[in-house]
Amino acid sequence: MTAALSRFLRTDWFGPLAIIVAASIGISVFDPSFLSPFNIQILLLAASVNCVIAMSQMVIIAIGQMNLAIGAIGGLSAICFAGLMQVWGFPPVLAAAAGLAIGVAAGLINGYLIARTGISAFIITLASLSIFKGADLGITRAQPFYGIPASVKAFGNTTIIGAVPWLALPAALVVAGMWYLLYRQRIGRYILAVGGNANAAELSGVSIARTVISAHAISGFLAALAGIMLVARLQLGQPSIGDDWLILSFAAPVIGGAALSGGHVSVFGTLFGVVIVAIITQALVIFRIDPYFVEVVLGLLILWAVGVNRLREVKFQNLASTA
Amino acid sequence: MNAPTPIESSQAASDAKGARGAIAWTEIRAPARLVLTNEFGLILLIAIFGAIFALGTPGFGSQFNLFTLGRTTAIDIMIGFSMMVVIVTGGLNLSVGAIGVCAAMAMGWLLERVGLPVPLSIAGALALGGALGAVNGALIVRSGLHSFIITLATMSVFFGVMVFISRAQAFRNLPPEISAFGRMRIEGYVSPLLIVSIVVGLGLMALYRLTPLGRDMLAAGAKVAAAELSGVRVGRIFVICHILSGILAGIAAIMVVARTGAAIPSMAGDLGQDWLLPAFLGPVLGGTALAGGRVSVLGAFLGSVLVSELTNGLLQYRIGEFWVQTWLGLLLLLAVLMDLARRSLLARMGSLTR
Repeated sequence: MTAALSRFLRTDWFGPLAIIVAASIGISVFDPSFLSPFNIQILLLAASVNCVIAMSQMVIIAIGQMNLAIGAIGGLSAICFAGLMQVWGFPPVLAAAAGLAIGVAAGLINGYLIARTGISAFIITLASLSIFKGADLGITRAQPFYGIPASVKAFGNTTIIGAVPWLALPAALVVAGMWYLLYRQRIGRYILAVGGNANAAELSGVSIARTVISAHAISGFLAALAGIMLVARLQLGQPSIGDDWLILSFAAPVIGGAALSGGHVSVFGTLFGVVIVAIITQALVIFRIDPYFVEVVLGLLILWAVGVNRLREVKFQNLASTA
Repeated sequence: MNAPTPIESSQAASDAKGARGAIAWTEIRAPARLVLTNEFGLILLIAIFGAIFALGTPGFGSQFNLFTLGRTTAIDIMIGFSMMVVIVTGGLNLSVGAIGVCAAMAMGWLLERVGLPVPLSIAGALALGGALGAVNGALIVRSGLHSFIITLATMSVFFGVMVFISRAQAFRNLPPEISAFGRMRIEGYVSPLLIVSIVVGLGLMALYRLTPLGRDMLAAGAKVAAAELSGVRVGRIFVICHILSGILAGIAAIMVVARTGAAIPSMAGDLGQDWLLPAFLGPVLGGTALAGGRVSVLGAFLGSVLVSELTNGLLQYRIGEFWVQTWLGLLLLLAVLMDLARRSLLARMGSLTR
């Protein structure tokens, strides 16, 4: 019993889950409407898109890199999705497929450049962030696309049953898919191996280049998916989609216990990290605190989380060395 | 930091390349050495594009355009310097934009609400910039975490607190001297802001070339362990670098205030993100090693000049407008790829002459 409990305590997702439960109880004591179906629906809507954004960064954190370009990729895919439907009258499914293909292509370019040149991911994705964002603004001339079909709008704003919005469906599929990919598939093991120790991975026959490129392709795909989901939710193809993803995309995986040096990420930890951010945003609204304060809280959360992760790391190392 | 992050390991790899390049360096004849320097290449590019733009568009060479170009360049140079002094340590500072906006807003508040004279307000703004830099430096050194995640977090915190306190309101009733300084023209086309940037650049050159502190910064950036063994207090040096970065970001922001005549919270975009590209473009084009330990103040200066010139020229041709960011991104990509090619060429030339 105690062994099982201590195993739970040690998982990455236990701490965040405990925070979610405590915060939900605490807030609903002050304001019972917090757990009302309407409020839960808002929470789920925010968390659905943010969860896909966070997973997109998490894959790259897993290989020990960072992807500054996810917002730009998401924005570019989003306006292509919206633009194809409005200007050329593409059916939504085809337009979405094209948007996702653009995301994958953008990720492949990032991955290829990083793997082939050995230049740091930071610089490559800073450059490609600028390239994709410029293309986004160049195509749209900074004007949104308004001609979104009713079916897409409905997908972004109706619920399946009760308080569960349709947008939660792709998010749930992404979480399940990421879990399967990272922990049950060879490519996932390769990604974690390359992130943990690239030299050791290479010596045991893993192609670093192919793994890095795959991870970036997955990241691009997820960024594009998040962009497309946002078009459905906002009901327009806004060129500024993706501009504010950067901080959140790091906050959620780090709260979920991801090691920024790579090799260690938690799918469910990241999911709970997203929910924590959503709850905090919601709480700021409920308690009538300035919504701008979200940015301060997000920044402090990142600092707190990396601090805690570091302490856990040191503690586990001590445990391992004494055992 | 116990496990080397991939940033560090990729830096270590480029370090090794740099070392090979350095061996080759001494073995190349003097004229070839001059032509292959980064600075020479930048001057050549600046001259070529200057000629193309001057001949191709009537507006580019006009006194007014040269004046505004010089003013924008001065700001970009300063933003580049504020990143450069941290890149020297092998780290980076994502919060330069956020610190800059905080400093500018502090100046606006001191001038408009407190009613301090201009010099004191500027001093106050730069002190805040330095203090925020010190927070960054202390957090990085104390936690042992990479500066990327720390400054990503503080960028959000600094900007959020600034918006929270200022209620996102701009200070527009500043003393007229400030915007007069921004509009002032020397000889018809030289902005005094450009002179400020040149003076600061000369100061930084003197710092790295002549002072023990500057040499310690380079040594600590090149190899932390070796610097520590030779008695450099690395943690203290890193904090000083971040303080310097904060002050330089403050100067850049004050220049923006002089140009626009107001302190506006959105002057560097959301979270100050709009400064990131100019901040990295200048130093990276200029050959400052991202791995740390190697700096070229002149290169960073010329890099920023090239970027501003290209932006201005593209706008003059009216092909840029919305695509400017794409061109700048491609330029950054091209710059790092060419740097890679140049180094491998130098390494090959070195092995040939041997």
